Amino acid sequence: MSSPPAGPTPESNTRRERLARAARNADRTRIALYAVLGALVGFYLAPLEAGLMTAFKTTDAFNRSVPFLPPIAEGFTLEPWRVAFRELWNGLINSLLLAVPATVLSAGLGSIAAYGLTTIDWKYQMPIVALFVAGIFIPYQAVLVPLSRLFAIVDTQSLLSVLWGLPLMEEHYASILNLIVTHVAYGIPITFLLFRAYYQSFSNEMIEAAKLDGASVFSIYRNIVLPLSKPMFAVTLIYQFTQIWNDLLFALVILPSGGGAAAPVTVALNALSGGIVQSFNTQMAGAFVAALPTLIVYVLFGEQFAKGVAS
Amino acid sequence: MAELTLDGVTKWFDDGGDRIVAVDDADVEIEDGEFLVLVGPSGCGKSTTLRMVAGLETVSQGDIRLGDHSITDEPPTTRDIAMVFQSYALYPHMTVRENMSFGLEESTDMPDDEIRSRVAETAEMMGIADLLDRKPRELSGGQQQRVALGRAIVRDPEVFLMDEPLSNLDAKLRAQMRTELQRIQEDLDVTTMYVTHDQTEAMTMGDRIAILDDGRLQQVGTPLECYHEPANQFVAGFIGEPSMNFLDVELAGGSLVGDAFEYPLSEETLADLEGHDSLVVGIRPEDIELDGAADASHSYPTTVDVVEPMGNENNVYLTFDDDASAQTVVVTVSGMRKVDAGQQVAARIPEEAIHVFDRETGRALHNRTLDRAEVTEPNV
Repeated sequence: MSSPPAGPTPESNTRRERLARAARNADRTRIALYAVLGALVGFYLAPLEAGLMTAFKTTDAFNRSVPFLPPIAEGFTLEPWRVAFRELWNGLINSLLLAVPATVLSAGLGSIAAYGLTTIDWKYQMPIVALFVAGIFIPYQAVLVPLSRLFAIVDTQSLLSVLWGLPLMEEHYASILNLIVTHVAYGIPITFLLFRAYYQSFSNEMIEAAKLDGASVFSIYRNIVLPLSKPMFAVTLIYQFTQIWNDLLFALVILPSGGGAAAPVTVALNALSGGIVQSFNTQMAGAFVAALPTLIVYVLFGEQFAKGVAS
Repeated sequence: MAELTLDGVTKWFDDGGDRIVAVDDADVEIEDGEFLVLVGPSGCGKSTTLRMVAGLETVSQGDIRLGDHSITDEPPTTRDIAMVFQSYALYPHMTVRENMSFGLEESTDMPDDEIRSRVAETAEMMGIADLLDRKPRELSGGQQQRVALGRAIVRDPEVFLMDEPLSNLDAKLRAQMRTELQRIQEDLDVTTMYVTHDQTEAMTMGDRIAILDDGRLQQVGTPLECYHEPANQFVAGFIGEPSMNFLDVELAGGSLVGDAFEYPLSEETLADLEGHDSLVVGIRPEDIELDGAADASHSYPTTVDVVEPMGNENNVYLTFDDDASAQTVVVTVSGMRKVDAGQQVAARIPEEAIHVFDRETGRALHNRTLDRAEVTEPNV
């Protein structure tokens, strides 16, 4: 028998060398990769960093130093933040009153609509699905005039006049209500589509098993579909919250001119920068204050969000 | 009482004006406590039939009765039927306990502590009591399978429907679950309709089996009836592993004449074939004898082509010596017997074991003769 001898053969020696060379090469490409990634991070974060630094500088320090350098000694101040908070406080409250219900409603209604049009089979559902999908493609600009006309005709403030006398209620909530209705209506098509794609991936047999277990259409939604929708709820909640929180256009069109007491934070931020003297530090602080809630939402739902996007 | 009756059940799908018939006029009666296996190749309509009984598909024509009331138009929620799916279809976000309780919570107004004790009892029986607080994704395939069964059993339904419940298990576990499922069904004595494409499952598990092909019921009978007295060539070929051998023959002068052989028939057999000329003769692999007793008229010189050793037996593929078409015939012989490829052997085809089918219709004209005493119900 002429079997090859045990132990390292010339062939396996060269293979080891090849492996070592590959490892060195990998190191080099890895260094290059990290360098590129680092440069990209710096590129994208630079404006943010400069903004943050500016927000902590006095106007004087801002005028005399490069924007991305940190404030030094007497150039440091918290005053811009104090001003921004004071000016934007009302807007933050309004935005929360607007964004939270509008987000929850558009996600919830989108989910229910998707369940009814995906998991349950009935005749003529496709035209309705087509209508929902068409809703996504209507541009904002096309509905601005009809919207302002609509809320001029449907005067929620006088229609709901009985409510304004109640404790904790304010008359300007009527304008916020208008905004909520608009954002919910505008958000449902996209949340519907996201949920529909998600529900289509559900096992049909699981829903059938629930039917045979005696569960009604509503019970299947509440006990099976809704609990399994958590990842997609995270996606739609983050998406819708960011959209609604950052919206300026609808607020400008639907609210009485100038926004008044109902102005959300985006309108207030706009007003903050509208002075004759440009105070960049206050504007930067204001921008961060206005962006804070969306950041918090991302942190809270981030893990679920990743799961939902991955599915 | 819960006998399940399918009365002329038909299902068709409309496909742009064309009517595609999935199940054609199926008549089956399943007695109370009976285990009926619905078997057939894929696409034969067996799952559709099961889903119609479950209420997941509408019935195009005919009637399904449970006991003496029709359930044809009842929704699946109220039929009091439990089903085990091939994919198990467990609720992934619920624990095993919640999975098993869900049906009782939804379909009955049983108090919580009674549901709890029934679930615990069933879990004990299924050997999954220690898994009750786990989620389905933490279970192995076999454990999920048990949970799916347990979920059906705990409901104590009138009828069990099972849609290829064992096909996702590995071979060893499948054989084990097959026995266990039979034992459970016997203990519970619940009417069961079981769908499979696996003829071994059909043979071993069913009280009776119903063989379906192309939407039509081919035969309903006990496993041994279907094995020994197939109604047609399809059933004969489908039941049994390895399959029955089929050879095309013509009837001429009191003999069956094939490409490579001539097979003289007795008067009795001939009487069954009256009026048919184009025939197919069938013989089960285990009925062919190699080097059998000298019976010149039913023995043929053959060559061994391939031998598949299975341990307990060998599958031997033979070719007729002077056969131009090189048609092979499979024979099973004892595993202890040594047969080699290329060897010349005499194959004897005993007349009492042959089946004869009409070549056009496939209908069985003559089935093997049986010593009746051998085929009585097994002693339990």
